[in-house]
Amino acid sequence: MTVLAWRLGILVGFFAVWEAVAAPLNPLFYIRPSSLPGALLGMWRVPDLPPLGEHVWLTLQEIAGAYVLAVAAGLWLGFLLGLRRTVGRIYEPLLAALYAVPSVVWYPSLMLFFGLGSASKIAFGVLLGFFPIVLSVLAGIRQVPATLVTVAQSMGARPFTVFRKVMLPAMASTMVGGLRAGLALSVVGVLVGEILGSRAGIGYVINYAYGLMMTREYAVLALLAAAAVLALDTAGALVEARVKRWAG
Amino acid sequence: MPGGATTAAADPIILEAIGKRYETASGAVQAVDSVSLTVRAEEFVTLLGPSGCGKSTVLGMIAGLVRPDAGRVLVAGTPCAGPNPEQVALVFQDGGLFPWRTALDNVTFGLELRGVPAAKRREIALGLLEPMGLRGFERKYPRELSGGMRQRVAIARALALDTPILLMDEPFGALDEQTRLLMGEWLVGIRRRARKAVVFVTHSLQEAIALSDRIVVMTARPGRIKDVLDVTLPFPRDLNAPEVTELRAKLWEQVREESLKAMGTIS
Amino acid sequence: MGRLAVLACQAASLAALVLAWHVAVRTGLADPLFVPAPDAVATVLATTAREALPRLGDTLLKALCGYALAVGLGVAGGLLLGSRRLVHAVAMPYVVAAYGVPKILVLPWIALILGLGTSTAVLTATLFAVFPILLMVAAGVRDVDPTLVTAAVSMGATRGQVSRKVLLPAVLPSVLAGMRVGIVFAMLGVLLAEMFAGTRGMGFLMQRMAMAFKASELFAATLIVSILSIVVVLSLEHLNQRLSRWR
Repeated sequence: MTVLAWRLGILVGFFAVWEAVAAPLNPLFYIRPSSLPGALLGMWRVPDLPPLGEHVWLTLQEIAGAYVLAVAAGLWLGFLLGLRRTVGRIYEPLLAALYAVPSVVWYPSLMLFFGLGSASKIAFGVLLGFFPIVLSVLAGIRQVPATLVTVAQSMGARPFTVFRKVMLPAMASTMVGGLRAGLALSVVGVLVGEILGSRAGIGYVINYAYGLMMTREYAVLALLAAAAVLALDTAGALVEARVKRWAG
Repeated sequence: MPGGATTAAADPIILEAIGKRYETASGAVQAVDSVSLTVRAEEFVTLLGPSGCGKSTVLGMIAGLVRPDAGRVLVAGTPCAGPNPEQVALVFQDGGLFPWRTALDNVTFGLELRGVPAAKRREIALGLLEPMGLRGFERKYPRELSGGMRQRVAIARALALDTPILLMDEPFGALDEQTRLLMGEWLVGIRRRARKAVVFVTHSLQEAIALSDRIVVMTARPGRIKDVLDVTLPFPRDLNAPEVTELRAKLWEQVREESLKAMGTIS
Repeated sequence: MGRLAVLACQAASLAALVLAWHVAVRTGLADPLFVPAPDAVATVLATTAREALPRLGDTLLKALCGYALAVGLGVAGGLLLGSRRLVHAVAMPYVVAAYGVPKILVLPWIALILGLGTSTAVLTATLFAVFPILLMVAAGVRDVDPTLVTAAVSMGATRGQVSRKVLLPAVLPSVLAGMRVGIVFAMLGVLLAEMFAGTRGMGFLMQRMAMAFKASELFAATLIVSILSIVVVLSLEHLNQRLSRWR
């Protein structure tokens, strides 16, 4: 009970401090939280802002595209490196090296190659999203207890059956964590891509509002986007919890 | 002390009807119920019983790490109010050695806390490690030592503080059979020189018989004292002697009953 | 497979990749406007490096400042979060939420208030790097074997002694792991800030090259930054190994 009280207190305190600090200062720069609900209601009537619906839809499509490709690439690469030991030994260090590079360095090249349209956003989303998936597949394979495999084999199970009925369920918890992280990163990739340079999408609108110094509208959009991402991740967490409960 | 009459030095450990309850998700559990025991100076007492019978909880209460819900614990005549590093030293089942410290630094940990200067600490530690056969291993990390060695370091660490009481919670439980037997033999050799009151927790009848002056058999949960057997055989004990065999049979009869109960009630 | 054989295969694979790339451009499969040929990249490598070096230094400096701040805040916060149950229960949802929100959404506001310069980049770097460090350190504290704490307390350790002599060394591996992850995030933050709102630094340079369709220079620059990052991370990894002999 006290925990809930403290949490509420922190939330209220945060907004109170923000409001108090921003109040005497230039409202254009220092966005006041109290001004935001008004901006939210007025947003649809602002002629300078492009129609939100199409942009949101586009971003969602890009996210979906990026995630599907990230999952496909991640699972394929993960199983290739994990199940074929020699291939893994050769290429896993290279993958680890790639992981050490801040992903955003690839984006200018992607923009150059794919242009400012959706393709570069999807490509960047795939780049970011497939890493946690590959890593979780590798980790998952590694943590399958060898005794389980031996038990199945001693009962006459063939390799594919062992894979399907023993390895996959044993890996499920680890993999679902990676799939969830992959979704979060695909979303970040698409958003970053849109904000850094695009002609459409939520990131573009945010940039647009920001560029026109419509700071309150930018804040509303940013908060809404943040809330949407959190909601998506919470959904992912619920799925993950479900899978973990089933997988034991 | 003036006068001729000797004041009875307080017995190191007096347990007066101690009890302990735990709140779990499935309701309250009485781990220990009404345990009374007196441990005399330099006496080796073993707590023997099935899993979950509260032996470790009793030890925790003597160590001052667990507060009894009923009764009281007297250590050196005074009620126990918390950890008592002057009086009580502990050895845990998996050693509890600090993995980032060498064997030597592990042994000197308690001395460090007391502010004993470095040279003195080293001297004491080496003095303890050598008769344990660990000379040359002082600079090794626990990861580099075998299970038996790790336990010996743990015991050395406990001995370093030179307390009158030593509590050992299944110290050889994680070792394989052969090492266990050897460690038991070694401990028999150590105990006479150590001159401490020892409370030793174990499952193993073998260990109990080989080491103890008294064996306290505990019931399954809630842990109560079922029986106390005195073992007056001279050391080192021949485990094939007829008296030992008879004692083992008597012990087993008691313990078996409680173990079956524990197996049935383990949730 | 022996280590040498593995290295040979890796080198061979990279060489094959470069060859395929070369063939793709030469045969027109890939448009040289977007995908420069390997030899074109090699030619401009030196000039690009010369131009990039001061900017790289600038970027790295900002990243290190942000990183240092993130490590300070992250380790202290993580220790607090991991050791006190109430703090953990109360604050955790917020920390996780903050970690989950794409921090680029805040970047425009930071740039608005702090301008287009160094402070924006440093703050962004700190923001990006602090969360993984915080979470890893907190997890490390919670994972400390309770027997170790019990052993210390039974030997008479005070709360401060337990923190210093047991928790800190036990938590060190997690701190180092967090720091290893943190440096990449710090660099990421700086580069992102530079691409969005910078006038100096590597990120800004690369963004400019992309807009100007200077493909060879951009590839060269990307290569240089990548190699730098890999070197930094490998060095930290090496340091980590040296400090963890006891594991």
